Amino acid sequence: MLCLRNADYSREERRLLRGINMRFREGMSYSILGPNGAGKSTIARILMGELKPTSGRVLLDGRDITDLGVTERAKLGISMAWQEPARYEGIMIREYLTLGGKLKVEEDEIREALELVGLPYELYSNRLMDKGLSGGERKRVELASLLLLKPRYAILDEPDSGLDITAGELIEELLNRFKKAGTTVIIITHHEEIARKTDFAYFVCAGRLVKKGFSREVVDYYRKTCGRCLFVEGSP
Amino acid sequence: MTIKVDRVKEYEALLDIYEREGLDKSLFDNRVATIIISGSKIIGLNNVPGVEIKGEEIENGVRADVRIADGVELPFPIHLCTGYLKGEGYQRVEFNITVGKNSKVRFTSHCIFPYAKDFTHEAISRISVGENSSVLYDDEHIHGEGVRMISRTEVEVKAGGRYTGKFSLTKQRARELKLEMTAKLADNAVAELTSKVKAVEDDSVEIREVLQLEGAHSRGDLKSTVIAFDKSRVNVVNEAYGLGDYAKGHIECHEIVKGEADVQTVPLLRVKNDKAELTHEASIGRINEAQLVQLMAKGLTEEEAAELIIKGLLGE
Repeated sequence: MLCLRNADYSREERRLLRGINMRFREGMSYSILGPNGAGKSTIARILMGELKPTSGRVLLDGRDITDLGVTERAKLGISMAWQEPARYEGIMIREYLTLGGKLKVEEDEIREALELVGLPYELYSNRLMDKGLSGGERKRVELASLLLLKPRYAILDEPDSGLDITAGELIEELLNRFKKAGTTVIIITHHEEIARKTDFAYFVCAGRLVKKGFSREVVDYYRKTCGRCLFVEGSP
Repeated sequence: MTIKVDRVKEYEALLDIYEREGLDKSLFDNRVATIIISGSKIIGLNNVPGVEIKGEEIENGVRADVRIADGVELPFPIHLCTGYLKGEGYQRVEFNITVGKNSKVRFTSHCIFPYAKDFTHEAISRISVGENSSVLYDDEHIHGEGVRMISRTEVEVKAGGRYTGKFSLTKQRARELKLEMTAKLADNAVAELTSKVKAVEDDSVEIREVLQLEGAHSRGDLKSTVIAFDKSRVNVVNEAYGLGDYAKGHIECHEIVKGEADVQTVPLLRVKNDKAELTHEASIGRINEAQLVQLMAKGLTEEEAAELIIKGLLGE
């Protein structure tokens, strides 16, 4: 189980997260829901090890991994698809997906992963991950990379942003695939319809955890309260 | 192919180096127009229909004229192989390349100095691309530890012509490199100049690329990528001059710095025609943090991620 325990995060004297407690159980899917600026992506980056909480701990199977870096966490099975995937000049999609040959996968697996995210293998496997790809295409490649990695925990930061109207179906398909592989999925989103697709949800606002529970219940609460919540930035 | 009898050993030595370095040995095939230079001697020469290569041996080097007739389209590249198999010395090569109208040709130029310890190579190329012709010039280098290299290329692209020049010195250290490329473009002409260099230890690299967009609707791109490690010094100057109506030019310079390397890039954009348009983008510094972290989140160490990013940038 992956846990955030009492996590605070401050930057330039601004408290971006306050006492966040979250638990992510094996094989389940979660969404972290909240408006823009709520602190959702900060939570994702803390889970991935890119940011270190100012106070509080990150635990994996009871082990304190707060001080572990990004690579070490990835080796423990935590991986992430970024909201804005980077461009890589001179690196083909196939190379990116196999991490320059370090990830041993069959060509058929690459084909399957690409086609699942809506990128025809013949058209994309040898294309470069540079500015010739749109943001949406890079996003799809990023999601395909997690399918190939088969991590224990897949963090998807705003997986639907930059995608077209088929995004909902794609997320649903991804959730099914990850579930079959036993991967725990953590989706960062501000879209209710995406959050509804996961088993559980956390509603975060102004750096605080507002509500947790079954997605349906949390999303209903979010719909009723978001925009009218009491937690405004800068409140004690 | 005509190979000088007394130079067979040098020819075979060059072939061995091609094999060892993973270069394309099929370029020595009889169907490929070729000139093979070793030191100040022409050791092999082959012409094919539509291509005439004439060479003469000059003091410390070779001068060669390469003429491509009108309407020539070749299935294979024209192979310019310049070798120097000794450790010390000086070599000067001059190539005068004239491509006729409506032709489409590729050049593969290899500079092979694998044993160089204290060696100066000076290359001067003048390339004329005829009307509506297309030329791709790929310049790859295999260097030993001690090469001082001065390379000057002047390209003239006539109306409707296209020139693509690619210079790459990434497999071995640059040591001391002065690279100058100038392209002058007529109406509707297009030029793309790309250079990729890796500088390590105390290497010194100077690159100057110039685009003269003289013709109406001419277009040009300059792109330099330099990886500078250790205590290397790199100076890149990219110049573009917008002179013709609706001329369009773009300069792009990316330099990755690691260690105590001293790197500067100077873009110069000058427009003398209010219908011309020039743009510029540059990045200089360490490897992009987001690129690194996103690869590390897939399990690569920082070093492995950096290596993959640099390999991509250098096109290795």
